[in-house]
Amino acid sequence: MTHPLVLPTALQLQLNELIIGLFLLTGFGMTVARQIQATLFGFIAQSLLLAASAFVLGVHPVSPHLLALAAVTLVSKPILIPFVLQRLVPREVYSKRELTQRVSITTSLMIALALAVAAYFFALPLLRSGAPLVSVGNVAIGFAGLFVGLYQVAARNEAVAQLLGILAMENGAFLAAIAIAPDFPLIAELAIAFDVPLLALIVGLLTRALHEYVGSTDVGTLVSLREDAGH
Amino acid sequence: MLKALLANALQIAFVVALAPLYAGFLAWLKERFQSKRGPSVLQPYRDLRKFLSKDEIISEQATWIFRFAPWIAFATPIAVTMLIPVLTDFPLFFAFMGDMLAGGFILGLGGFFGVLAAVDSANPYGAMGASRTRMVSFLAEPVFIIVFFTVAFVADSTIPYIVQQHWVHPFSAFFSPSHVLAVVAFIMLILAEGGRLPVDNPTGHFELAMIDESKALEYSGRGFALAKWGGWMRFLVLCIILANVLFAPWGLSSDVSFVGLASAVAAIAVKLGLLITLIGVIECSVAKLRLFRITEFLAAAFAIAVVAMITRAFSL
Amino acid sequence: MPLLAALVPALKRSEKVVLPLSVLSAAVVFSLVVIATIDVLTLGGVVAIPHWIELDGFGALLELLISFVGMTAALYSWGDLGFGRGTPGQVRGYAANFNLFVMSMLAIPLTVEPGLAWIAVGLTTLFSVLLVSYENTHDALEAAWKYATLTLVGSAVAVLGFLVLFWAMRTAGGDDFTWRGLAAIASHLPPALVTVAFAFILIGLGTKTGLVPLHTWLPDAHSQAPSPVCALLSGVETSTALYVILRLVPVFRSANTLHVNAWLLIVGFISLGTAAFLLLQAQDYKRLFAFSTVEHMGIVLVAVGMGTALASYGAAWQLATHALAKSLCFYASGAALAAFGTRMIANTGDLVGRSRIAAVALFIGVLAIAGAPPFAVFLSEFAIARAAFTASQSFVGLMLIFFIGIAFFGLFGRAIRVIFGPPPAAVHSADQAHSVNVPMVTAIVIAMVPVVLFGVWIPEPLARLFELSSRALQ
Repeated sequence: MTHPLVLPTALQLQLNELIIGLFLLTGFGMTVARQIQATLFGFIAQSLLLAASAFVLGVHPVSPHLLALAAVTLVSKPILIPFVLQRLVPREVYSKRELTQRVSITTSLMIALALAVAAYFFALPLLRSGAPLVSVGNVAIGFAGLFVGLYQVAARNEAVAQLLGILAMENGAFLAAIAIAPDFPLIAELAIAFDVPLLALIVGLLTRALHEYVGSTDVGTLVSLREDAGH
Repeated sequence: MLKALLANALQIAFVVALAPLYAGFLAWLKERFQSKRGPSVLQPYRDLRKFLSKDEIISEQATWIFRFAPWIAFATPIAVTMLIPVLTDFPLFFAFMGDMLAGGFILGLGGFFGVLAAVDSANPYGAMGASRTRMVSFLAEPVFIIVFFTVAFVADSTIPYIVQQHWVHPFSAFFSPSHVLAVVAFIMLILAEGGRLPVDNPTGHFELAMIDESKALEYSGRGFALAKWGGWMRFLVLCIILANVLFAPWGLSSDVSFVGLASAVAAIAVKLGLLITLIGVIECSVAKLRLFRITEFLAAAFAIAVVAMITRAFSL
Repeated sequence: MPLLAALVPALKRSEKVVLPLSVLSAAVVFSLVVIATIDVLTLGGVVAIPHWIELDGFGALLELLISFVGMTAALYSWGDLGFGRGTPGQVRGYAANFNLFVMSMLAIPLTVEPGLAWIAVGLTTLFSVLLVSYENTHDALEAAWKYATLTLVGSAVAVLGFLVLFWAMRTAGGDDFTWRGLAAIASHLPPALVTVAFAFILIGLGTKTGLVPLHTWLPDAHSQAPSPVCALLSGVETSTALYVILRLVPVFRSANTLHVNAWLLIVGFISLGTAAFLLLQAQDYKRLFAFSTVEHMGIVLVAVGMGTALASYGAAWQLATHALAKSLCFYASGAALAAFGTRMIANTGDLVGRSRIAAVALFIGVLAIAGAPPFAVFLSEFAIARAAFTASQSFVGLMLIFFIGIAFFGLFGRAIRVIFGPPPAAVHSADQAHSVNVPMVTAIVIAMVPVVLFGVWIPEPLARLFELSSRALQ
């Protein structure tokens, strides 16, 4: 049984396209932002855009699943996660500027751009052979968001920035999910919405422990566990 | 035929006459934002009159480049004016002489001669500023090109008049990411090419920090007036491209009647007014970027432009 | 009923008797699981919520393993931490996380819906991260950070893989997003989507399983955590991640353009070989066992990659024996740590003189995990090798024996050094040494029993479970 594809209006589609374009840009912004606070703002913006995309696509024809997803995302990601992080991670971590990234900011931006373009090429054969979707861009930019988030985890040295990279990857995956599985059962969505702030909670606790016991949250310098380092 | 020629002349006169007013208005606005009284909006006209009546002093080491550069800086924006829709939305006389790429090159030509002249005068600050201007320009090139590509994808053409007709035809296309992001990238480009904050401080007098202003450092009298006027016209032309072609191509007159043209003048005054308010707000809210961070600024503009292009090229 | 079993461990509140309580609840869970397994064997399957929560043979096997190791680990934790090591707050936190961790692991074999399975896998990571960093030393925090980051990244990649799989199912017109439902329409799934889904899921969940080259967090996390946690992590957590991958293997096999078996063999051998060689240069005896985990995961993958029913039987068997033996190894190493106070092999020696029980446990554990007869692991590895030769995949069998041999020498050599070598020169960090107390010993003994027992005799129900699992893998 295939679901008949009811198309939303052209205005909705264009608005959605704009939202996902901005989604990708916030992904870039998170990767290159120097200040931790700026990275967090980028994440909040990206999560808001994710909720907006679900909302725009779910308004007409009315899809309760998508609207519920929008609401759930809205509560858990832009609101709960920053709340959790602000409470857990000591204030001084936020005011830090990450002065040493492994790759300079301009180069990082270019790499992230290249990854986004690569994600498009990656998603094309999938789109051709898969079932027709309401919004094709969601899948492509979802993949792009995943790759850019992955790059962020690899390129950033700060603990909170890496955590936000992981969350950005999940944002990308769920952006794709909006298009691929718009009627995904509510239970799963609730569970996921619960799961993500829990993630932030636990990694936040870990970051706090790092700050307390190791003295800094610059996790890029934690490389002492090796075979040859006799500690 | 005569009417078309008249419209063309009117277009050029419009740009030439309005440019100082535009710059004056921006200066006044910025001062106002900072709770000062601000100079009169017509001050640039008075400055031009003053400089045109003064003598020119030219260094003995200067060559013909130094003498010609102000004229070229004055003439190139006029040439570009003939290519873009300023008052009318149908192509005028010289519209097919060149497309947007050509427009970009012509403006670049003016800038190139300005830079050569700055080096020609053997003023060390001139040379320093010249190299910085070159850096900003060459970093801004890719952004220009990508924006043109995006526009070409949408409109299947790069002639400004045709682009303007196609760009926002179904209203929903107004929100398309390729449109919005191209506009954002272009605004960042205007800030860079026009020598505005956060790239460069146009009111600064500190030569070590000058980027765009250093081109006019050695000039005096008529040369100075022409160089300044050319700079204002260039800024105005860029803003007109943004307003009429990219962002809001409405309100242009469809014929050469008096009523049509008058309403077009009014419409463009409104659009430019809004744009200049936006630029004024941006200038008053950000600090000048350190030199090496200009690359990051332009890289961000590049990224935005590329995203505009790929969302267009691949999502259909 | 198994649902209840999953929920029981979660209720740990703030008292100082949390650790013995954990032991009690773990025992209760184990008995519940045994009952459920009997149900599975007699009825063919247990269904709690159709299409969401069901238990079949393969799942039951894993549940048994998880609950058994959970029980022994709880017992060991009581001994290790409950007698004054660590502030009450720390111990409470440990107990809470421990129980939540075990609960999330128990949830995985219960789910038949990949989405829920993914959520459960993510939860196992989350609950174990703080357990890994329990000691709050620089190294423990580093290990916990790497563990968290790498596995969460893998988890995000995997969710996209599952989504693509869902999309493929929708394209083929299916509606039943469960292991069974997917296997049913597997041949209709569009190949491009299945390939991508396979790649993403293998990479994503493979990170959690510890497949090379995504294993870099494993030696760190599995050595820095407290020993009972290590036992759980190495013994069953990696196996549960592997379980999810294996559940999807029949689906991927039926989508014709993929050479799934070949890929599994390649990935399995890469993990096996790399781990075997890395074993040879381990400096720390807990890292030694961690590498051995990678090796065994590789062996299981190779076995499944061979494709025959016999090989799949061996794979299930291997999962079981590995869980049992590995947990014993870690309890033993915990006892050794108690005796020496340090994990570095260079600073240890003569365990026999220091602590008899630790020496015996370590000796048996190492022999068992390295695959020596008459212990359980030997039998399962032998079965896999035999499957290789009978299916005329002799090359595979030979490589298998080769790598296992290398690992054997690595493990055994190091262990001998620890147990029978010369006593350490100076008494390094002797202040960390403490005595091995009764619950720990009990745990060790309980853990030892199946390892030794199953080396010579397999109980009939267990064999039936292996068979059911192998059928699920076909």
